Amino acid sequence: MAQISLPANSRVTEGKTYSAPPGAKNIKRFKVYRWDPESGQNPRLDTYEVDLDTCGPMVLDALIKIKNEIDSTLTFRRSCREGICGSCAMNIDGTNTLACTKAISDIKGDVRVYPLPHMPVIKDLVPDLSHFYAQYASIRPWLRTQTPPPPDRERLQSREDRAKLDGLYECILCACCSTSCPSYWWNSDRYLGPAILLQAYRWIVDSRDEDTGTRLDELEDPFKLYRCHTIMNCAKTCPKGLNPAKAIAEIKKLLVERRF
Amino acid sequence: MQSENRPLSPHLQIYKPQWTWVPSILYRISGGALAVGSLLLVYWLIALASGPDAFATAQGLLGSLIGRIILFGLTLALCYHLLGGIRHLFWDAGLGFHVPTAERWAKLTVAGAIVLAVLIWIVAYAVKGAA
Amino acid sequence: MKFRSPLVRAKGLGAAKSGVDHWLAQRVAAVALVPLVIWFVIGLIGQVGADYESVKAWVGRPVNAVLLILLLGTMFHHAQLGMQVIYEDYIHTNWLKIASIYLTKFAAYLLAVGASFAVLKVALGG
Repeated sequence: MAQISLPANSRVTEGKTYSAPPGAKNIKRFKVYRWDPESGQNPRLDTYEVDLDTCGPMVLDALIKIKNEIDSTLTFRRSCREGICGSCAMNIDGTNTLACTKAISDIKGDVRVYPLPHMPVIKDLVPDLSHFYAQYASIRPWLRTQTPPPPDRERLQSREDRAKLDGLYECILCACCSTSCPSYWWNSDRYLGPAILLQAYRWIVDSRDEDTGTRLDELEDPFKLYRCHTIMNCAKTCPKGLNPAKAIAEIKKLLVERRF
Repeated sequence: MQSENRPLSPHLQIYKPQWTWVPSILYRISGGALAVGSLLLVYWLIALASGPDAFATAQGLLGSLIGRIILFGLTLALCYHLLGGIRHLFWDAGLGFHVPTAERWAKLTVAGAIVLAVLIWIVAYAVKGAA
Repeated sequence: MKFRSPLVRAKGLGAAKSGVDHWLAQRVAAVALVPLVIWFVIGLIGQVGADYESVKAWVGRPVNAVLLILLLGTMFHHAQLGMQVIYEDYIHTNWLKIASIYLTKFAAYLLAVGASFAVLKVALGG
């Protein structure tokens, strides 16, 4: 899939407008991507006028309010509402982030809400993440050892070694970064993408892991790793403040290091 | 199951221009332009080796208005690709990944490339005037 | 393809176990190109408005000829490696992608050797 322009069945058409109830003073317009798999039509952009005086501060609050009070067919993923589960990842005001931690007041003008970019859409704001999860499984993200653990305690790790996991273990696999990456847009079938590569690095750099060589072998590929061109949309967009671009650069450095 | 007709969510169409991917695609475009522009250098050298008449023709073409516009464009591409390339080498060494730092250097690269290209042409015109 | 599991599709044919060499070669060429290009631009500026004999003399000087040939070789190598990455990114029809990569490689060799021959012809007299 290397579509620079959207395929015919994906082009977004103008949708319905739902006006605010009379008497509402603090109105914000939300333009939301909609697609109904049973309609046989193209996706459309619906406009919802929301009274912010009766709405919570985050974009997710507005989406829930729309679903509760205006249009119950609006479909989106959500769970923790506190930025830790990663369910509500979507494109808001042009960048990928979590709806539950994106303040409505940070957005000037109409709030444009789209699903994560360049993904197959199941319905409305719900993308198909199966390939993303499969890519995660493919790096075998668990501790691999030959040395048995000490019989009486956990595998020890110095503070310095544990510190190397900071900025890596906190990833919530929301997919904001991978779906912000143009390289992942054009080559998601073979390029692992920033989220999965960051997790691959998390296991490479874990001092308790004993399979570093194999992990690096499995990444050394013109597509799996080297589609990264340090565009850095990933680090810019990460809602948890992580830096996949840096992790990927460290993987590339390790691959060079073992060559000399 | 209607998974066959699932639409693709918009990407370039809706993603916000940022100081991350915009300088990056410009860097790629500058590289491609230089790859094509290298043909001009080859032409010029072969013209030089082919004798004064061929060389005069080449100089005439490159010195024409269109020629100079193209050469200025290539100078701009070269300066941007050179400065951007140095930025990439720092990244390859693992430095400069803090997002505000990266954005600041992106702006400096764009500004620096324009300044450098213009400077080169000012000097070139000065040399030409003195020649 | 339709009935394969997502994991099988993600794993594909496995990693090629190569890619570092291309990545490294591109950076080595880039590092070499920084001084070479700066030298070339300065040299070229000096030849703006100069006549045929003057340019011929400049290109023909042994140091300049050698550096020019090194510049051409490194530049075309770097360009060819760069274009390969662009083709891999945007061309997904396998035969077209591979053909583009190798045609560009051949063109790069042709142009580099052709231009180097021109430099040698000027430098060694003829």
